[in-house]
Parts: sequence; C-alpha cells; structure tokens
Amino acid sequence: MKETLKVHFQFSPMAIRILLLSLCLSNNLYASSSAVASSSQTATHTNNWAVLVCTSRFWFNYRHMANTLSLYRTVKRLGIPDERIILMLADDMACNARNKYPAQVFNNENHRLNLYGDNVEVDYRGYEVTVENFLRVLTGRHETAVPRSKRLLSDEGSHILLYMTGHGGEEFLKFQDSEELQSHDLADAVKQMKEKGRFKELLIMVDTCQAATLFSQLHSPGVLAIGSSLKGENSYSHHLDSDVGVSVVDRFTFYTLAFFERLNMYDNASLNSLFSSYNPSLLMSTAYYRTDLFPRRLEQVPVTNFFGSVMETIHTDRPYRARKRKESQDRIRMPLKEAVQDNQQRRLSDPEIEVRRVRAPEDSIGRTWNSLQNKMKIFEYPETFVYYGLVMMLPLLAVSTWLYS
Amino acid sequence: MPKEILEYWPHLSAIGVGASVTLPGLGGDIHGQYINMSLDPIDWPMNGPFSSTLGIRSALNCGLSKVEEKFTEELLLKPLPDRKVLAHFHFESTAPRTQYYGRHHHLFPKAIAQLVQKFSIREMELSFTQGRWEYESWGGYDPISSSSAKPPGVELWAVFDVPVDQVDASWKNLTHSLSGLFCASINFLESSTTYSAPELAFHPASVNLRYGTLPREAVCTENLTPWLKLLPCRDKSGISSLLDRPSIYRGFYHSQRLRLRHVKIRADAPDSDTVLEQTLTVVLQPNGIRSKESHSSKRKLHPTWSMSSLFGRKIEGRCALAKSSNVYLQLERDLVAEMKRLKEKRKIFDISVLNEDLIENPAFEISIKPDLVLREVLSSQTESSSLTYEYSIGKSASPNTFDLSFTWKSPVAWSCRKPPLRASRFLMGSGNERGTIAISLRSMGPDEGLNVSDMDKERCVLPVNIFQVVPWYIKVYFHTLKVFIDEKPMSVLDAVEKIHISPSEDKVSPGVMEMVLKLPCGVKSATITLEFDKGFLHIDEYPPDANQGFDIPSAIITFPNIEASIYFDQEITLKDLPLLSSFQEKNPIRYYTEVLLVPLTTPDFSMPYNVITITCTVFALYFGSLLNVLRRRVSEEERLHNAKGKSGPLSRLIAKLRRSKEIQPQSTTTSSSLFSSKLILKIIMVAAIAICWQYLSG
Repeated sequence: MKETLKVHFQFSPMAIRILLLSLCLSNNLYASSSAVASSSQTATHTNNWAVLVCTSRFWFNYRHMANTLSLYRTVKRLGIPDERIILMLADDMACNARNKYPAQVFNNENHRLNLYGDNVEVDYRGYEVTVENFLRVLTGRHETAVPRSKRLLSDEGSHILLYMTGHGGEEFLKFQDSEELQSHDLADAVKQMKEKGRFKELLIMVDTCQAATLFSQLHSPGVLAIGSSLKGENSYSHHLDSDVGVSVVDRFTFYTLAFFERLNMYDNASLNSLFSSYNPSLLMSTAYYRTDLFPRRLEQVPVTNFFGSVMETIHTDRPYRARKRKESQDRIRMPLKEAVQDNQQRRLSDPEIEVRRVRAPEDSIGRTWNSLQNKMKIFEYPETFVYYGLVMMLPLLAVSTWLYS
Repeated sequence: MPKEILEYWPHLSAIGVGASVTLPGLGGDIHGQYINMSLDPIDWPMNGPFSSTLGIRSALNCGLSKVEEKFTEELLLKPLPDRKVLAHFHFESTAPRTQYYGRHHHLFPKAIAQLVQKFSIREMELSFTQGRWEYESWGGYDPISSSSAKPPGVELWAVFDVPVDQVDASWKNLTHSLSGLFCASINFLESSTTYSAPELAFHPASVNLRYGTLPREAVCTENLTPWLKLLPCRDKSGISSLLDRPSIYRGFYHSQRLRLRHVKIRADAPDSDTVLEQTLTVVLQPNGIRSKESHSSKRKLHPTWSMSSLFGRKIEGRCALAKSSNVYLQLERDLVAEMKRLKEKRKIFDISVLNEDLIENPAFEISIKPDLVLREVLSSQTESSSLTYEYSIGKSASPNTFDLSFTWKSPVAWSCRKPPLRASRFLMGSGNERGTIAISLRSMGPDEGLNVSDMDKERCVLPVNIFQVVPWYIKVYFHTLKVFIDEKPMSVLDAVEKIHISPSEDKVSPGVMEMVLKLPCGVKSATITLEFDKGFLHIDEYPPDANQGFDIPSAIITFPNIEASIYFDQEITLKDLPLLSSFQEKNPIRYYTEVLLVPLTTPDFSMPYNVITITCTVFALYFGSLLNVLRRRVSEEERLHNAKGKSGPLSRLIAKLRRSKEIQPQSTTTSSSLFSSKLILKIIMVAAIAICWQYLSG
C-alpha cells in the first residue's frame, strides 16, 4: 500500500500538469464530459441495494412470500440496512386469516425461524405490487410525492441484488395473476438503469419456472443473472408443512439459503462457489446463469458483494485528499476457497438421464438409443436439427422416386 | 474550565456552574460540565449533553422553565362479558409548539413533528384495524368503543391549516408520506375516487377536512413496528414491552390508532401544544387453564387470566422517560351491580360500607392490591357505578416485574353498556345489475340509552347522523331514498332534518351522503333504503382478485346528543393521566357499520381471446371453401398442365413426379411389402445422414 502511495506522490505533479495542459487545449465542455465518462467507468463499489419481489397473490402461494422473506433476512443479516432494501410482497400471509401462526412466516417445517420477526419493513404490498410499480422502482421514475423509503436511490457505485419469485413461463413472469413482466420489459428497464448510472453491477436472481428465458433479452454490461430453471423446466417447491397446510419454500431458494446459512459477513465465499453449490438432482431443475455481460471472473467476486454490504476500505494518510487509485491494484486480494468446476458439464447433466443410464445399461441397442438421446439433449436447438433433417429428406425422396420410376 | 469552552457556551458561566467537577477519565472537558449541569434545580427531561444545552438556552432566553415535552404510558384492562379481555394501550406525547427547541425534540417523534410542520396538519387520525368490534358484547356506550372502535382496514382523516384550494394537494402528499412511514398502501387514498370531504355528519366539521378509508388493507407487524418506533422507549421497556406480535395478532380484534391534535393547555397560552395520542386496542381470548372444576361450572366460569398469560410477557419496570406509567383495571357498572347482588345473596361480608371498592369479593381475586380506586360519578343514584383500579408501575409492591392476574372464583354473568340503537347495513336484491343498500337501526331494549331525555315523550327527538361514502361504480339513485320508522314508511321531509348529498362522478369522485335523521325517542326501529345500479369498470381497473367482490366502506352513525363519558370521583389533574381525562371528554357515541361486499360482473378476461380465435376459424373455413367452390375450374387446370408439360426440364420433372404419383396407388395395392421396405430404407438413410452430420457438427 505504501509503495503505491509513493508512486502516486511522484506522479501527482505530472498529472496536474497534464490536466492543466488538457484544460488549456480543449474546451470546457469537452473536458467535463470526458471527466464524467471516466468517473462512471471507474466508479468504485460504494453501496449495496436489494430489491426483493414476491409477485404471487393468494394463500397457496405462501412459499413465494417465504422465499422472498428468507432472502430479506439473509441480506439483512449480511449487512444491507432496511432503508436500502425494497421489499415487495403481493399478499399478506403473516396476518392472513388462514395462517395458524399469526404474524409469523416459516420457511421450514421445523418452525425454528420466524421470518417475519419484529422488525420487517415492507415497502410495497398487496395491490401495489404491479409491473408498473416494479419498473418505476428500477428506473426511478416516481411521482414527486413518493417517499424515499419506497425508492431505489442507487448510484453508479451501487451493487444491486434483484430477486424475483412467482409463477412464470417462457420469457415472462406473472404479477398477481393479472399482469406479466416480459423479458423485454426487464431488459429495457435494466438498460435504462445502466444509462442513468443507477448501478455498477446488477445480480438478477429469479426463482420461477423457465427462469432462464427471462434473461434472454438482457444486453447491458455489468449484469449477472441466475435462474432456477432452464427453458422447458419447472421449478419445484421443496417441502410441505402440514401444520401450515401449504408448501413453504421452493427448492432453488432453499438450497441458496442452505449455502448462505453457513456464511457470515466476513466470509470470502465467491459467487462461483454459490453457483457450484446447486445440485440439479436436488433442485429437480437446472440452475442457469448468464455471465457473458459480467466483466469480472466469478471466482474473484465474493457473494457479499451482492448479498451483503461489505465495503472496501481505502487507506489514505491524509484526510480529504482527492481519491487516486488504480482499479487493478486495489482488487480485493482474498483467498477464494472454492472448487472451480466445469460449468458446461454441470449445466448439461440432467437427473432423468442419470436415472435412465443406471437402469438400462445392458442392452446395446438401448445404449445406443440412450447415447443418441443424450446427444439430442446436448444439441442446443432441437428444432433446427429437425428442420435440417426434413430439408435433407426432400432431395433424398426426390432422388429415390426418380430412381424407382 | 477551558477558556474557549466558555466563549463557545457563554451561558454556562452566566448560570454559574463554574465549579467544574472533574470526572475520572474526562479530565475536565465539556462532558464533565454537563453532567454537573444535571444537578440544576430545573428538572430536565433528558440528561443528554445536547438537549440540556438547548434547554438552558431556552430557559435563559425567555425565562420559562415549564416548556417541556411529556410522555405518558397507560394500559387499561377490562374483562368482557363474553369471556374475553380487552386491553387498551394509550401512549401520549406532548410537544409545545415553540421556537425554543427549534427542530429538536426530546420525546416527541421527529417524523410526526415534521409531518405536522410540512403539511400544516391541525388534526389527524389514522387507524389500522383488523376484525370487527362487537358493539353488543364488548360495549357501545363507553369512551373506548366510541373512540377506538374503528372500521376494518385503514381509516384516515385530517384537517389542514392551509387555504381551501391547497387542501387536496396536502392530502395527497400526506397519504404518500404516511404510506412510507407505516409500510401500508395508504397512498391509494390519494386518488380522488377514494376520499371525500364530509361537511355535515362527521365530528370535527371543517372545510379543510378530508376523509378516506381502505377497507381491505391488511394490518400486520410491519404496521405496528413503525408505530412503536414513535415511542421514546419503543418496545424495549415499560408498558409497550408487553406487545408481543404473535399474541396481539392472535386476538379477535386489534386496532392501532394514531391521533394528532393541537390543544391549548391554558387559555392564555400563545401557542397550542401538539398532542400525539397512540392507542392500541386488542380483544384477546385468555386460554383458560383449569382442571378441577366440574363441567357445568366450567361452562359458566370465566377463564382466569394474567398479563403473562395474555401477552406472554410481563412489565419489567416503567419506561424511564415516561412521566407516568399506569395500569388500570376497569369493572363495568353491570358487573359491579352483579357483585353486590352476589354478596347479598351469600351474606359472607357485611355489605353496608366496608368493601365498596370490591377488592375482596366472592367472585374474583386480583393478585395485586391497587394503589387507588376510582369510582364513577353518576347523576342517578339507582345504578351502581363502575370501578377503576389504578396501579402505577414502579411504585407498587414488586417494583421489578408487574404481572397482574385476575382469577375468577364463581361464575358471574353480566352485560356491557350497549349503544342506544344497534345499526346494521345490508344489501337487498339479486342479480348483477342492481340492488338496494339498507341501513337499519334497532333499539336495544326499553332501558338503554334513550331514557336520557324522556321528560317529554311527545316532543323528544333523537338526532342521528349518518355518513356514508359509496364508490363511483355503485351508482346510487338518491331520489329513491326511503325512510321507514317502526316499519311504517315516512316521508323523507318528516324524518330527515338535514341532508347533504354529493353524487358520484364516474372515475372522478365517490358518492357521499350525509344526513341528520330525527327519530322519536321511543323508536323501535328505523330503516333507510337506497337503490343503486352496478357500474362497469375498465378492464385495467379490476383488481387481481376481482372475483372476491368490491367493498363499500363502513357507514358512520353518530348520536350527537348522547355522550359516552365517565366522570370520576377523584380529582384528576389532566396532565398526569391522559387516558382517564380523555374518558371525561365529551365524545358523542359513534358506531361503524359492517363493510359491504358487492359482487360486480367480472369479465372472464380469456373470453375475448377465445371468441376471436373461434370466429376467425369459422370465417376462414366458410370463405375458403366458398371461394374454392366458386373460383376453381378443374378442366382449365388440366389443360394448363398439359400445355405446360411440353417445355423445360423442370416441368418434365414435375410431370414425371405426377406420373409416378399416378402409378403409386397401383404399386401399393400390388406390393405393399416392397413399398414399406422402400420407406424404411429411406428413413434409415435420412437417419444415417442426420447422425453423420450431427457427429461432424458436434
């Protein structure tokens, strides 16, 4: 650290001279615009926000609220304060007349942990949880009267966790059984957020059926997306609590929580270790993540960058000095303990195939059939395969009819 | 004392606290001075260094020593006739409206003070309620029921100190602020279709009043927690530490209320004080733990309860910032009379004078002896007066924990004081097109309530105010108003003294009806009916659970001439016991009717899609086949084909294909095995090519 500071001292007069020169040469406007651009690029991670959304109404969707509240509890435990969490719950489960345990919500049938606690702060509830309000929160386009506690007041140094759960399908997520959020809407909102400098990095986590399809339209840099299931897969609930009478948690969230329960604020577990903790056979679906828009390597990103609020401390020997640092040097140097796994392989393994493999290995035809089917599964676009096959068949048919005529 | 400190805080030396006491570790710095300051004879409410400094400054500037904020906490417990227990928490904070404190407050919540300042609120009441108050079994003639029985959901009204044209804007901003403060969707009240401006039948009549309710708003922990955060001790100590969330929300009724008003303590005071009254009313069912009683007595005997069994917690000392911290136990008039009757019957005690306060009696036992017994003062001597036992926390025998328990020894049956007229509201008619709203008032019996003014039976009149708001999609025809008194139709002009109606406007404002009925005193029943048509909403305006129906908010029925007040025999200074002094205020009896659920025609939103697809299919089939039949000429086509077949390699190929097609049926009939083998061969070929291609690409 000291060495880097020395280097800075040596270079600082030079830097000032260059700055003066540039000011003399270029006009004011140009200088200011370039400064803005550079600051947005080199903005450091300064704060954490979380937007947690449960989009399902009605009592039988208890588990979705329990999912959201579990995440709420986790991010609060890992250090995000209540004023930086926007919690949207589409229905009232805790004081629902059907709830045998008033003012309590559980995500496990052992009832050890009351998620509703004494200090829960719900920002949007009931009929307020609409696609419009959700997009307003993301993009920050509120009416003037809306209080601060209901706004996402993030800036270009913010890391945002966006968690959504509910019922969904291909490229949409249902809000209260009456509206849908489409993947285009989400992508547009995220793009607008990026343009407005409302986040530095955004982690979108979705627990719904066919969650992966919701990310297909995203194209803003700095976005990382995790979904509970691939296209064509369902996300299942974990278990039923016979006292409450409904399922209390979804599988994906359950195993996410199982991962986080072992952590505290000071742990250095990386996002990669979170991702590799999802076991498709336990999840009964395949967790999908989209990393192509995310600039950093997942092994180097601690989970507390999104799920907690652990700030990097910048040492300065003088108060109120202008911040001068290089991104690369101040990277968090933490020993990240996780097994780097081959993502591709994990994404492809499917519990059903595993079972079939075990059951019918003797028969050679069966084996070839299996391998054939496996290959089919590997194939990314089965439709195109079929089309190609059909197209191939046409000349074949023509030739054969020609021959036999 | 360091010189610069003296310069910075000149008033310190002016007071003459120069003799600095050096505390160990502080070395005579500024903290030492302030701790010394607290020895000053003026009783500062808080000992924080900053607040005492401000206090001194204000005291020096104006010479007033009594300008201070105040906080009191009280809890009233009352056994109810239907084996339940009423717990009524009352917290009151008072802040003088002065410039001396600036924007700083010691005890008064800053969030509320800012609201008052920003929106110029003169008076405001916000309540969150779940459950319905049972006027017949829990009381409808006492101060608690008339002030704390509220309609389900959220009710908000406010009076603003702004010009009339700015009231709506202030209301809108206030709803948004409150929704952020209390984690509720109060901001739905900003739309002009949900709020109204009552002029006649609502109690604090004012031009600047706005009133709105949300009948279906859920009430839960997230609303109670911010409410508790307004208290100086939160729920950490004092009476508020009893508020265990699961036990409160297990109750039959809970209503959390926040009332803001400005009160002039002295008539000559230049400014009025801001008073924040926070009450929580809960009706709980004690789980009777009993073993040795026989079955018959178990049925009658009320369950024994204690504070720890009701709330699962005990009071651990008082809130250190509270000026007074009291618990009351109230016994109703009828219960006291019943006790006396029981005593007479049993002849255990000498009934003459000794035990007027009923502390020792055959029916129940109280674990802690009260500090003070307050008796109600009645105008007539025939009735027995209700009793209120007062316990002040911190002064009683066990100062550390306070756990009052109430044990029933013999079965007692009594009834509470019922409202003068029982009101109910219901819908008549069937179908999805129209209906009728009826409000019926029935007298509860000959002895209750109405004997107040029976000096002149002929000319005695009982005025009843009815205030009703109806959403715009319930289109009420006000000309169909009918009044029936004692089942006989009356002309509206005879029965209604005053009426004020503002008809609804579609998607703009709700329909408001305020009327003052004048009923004869001996009235048995009175009914008013109004017909309405059900409107249609736009497809976007239906809520997600539209099939559940739509709510019409509670109507408010007020009896302006009958007051529910309890006057006590003891001299109570108003400042010390706000709950009891609020009992002595003149509050008219108020009654909320049920919320009505109106089923509206809910469109099946998938129907248009179904209709469009099936219609398109039918049209396509019809027109397609029709055109085919009309336009097609088979012979022309044949000729065209033959003419084309003579030129070009492609057409030759087509012709060959056609010929082979013509041949094919013959071949299938003659040799089906050959054809199938050909087909299989083709399929295998395609599969082989596909596999090869896939291996190459993969």
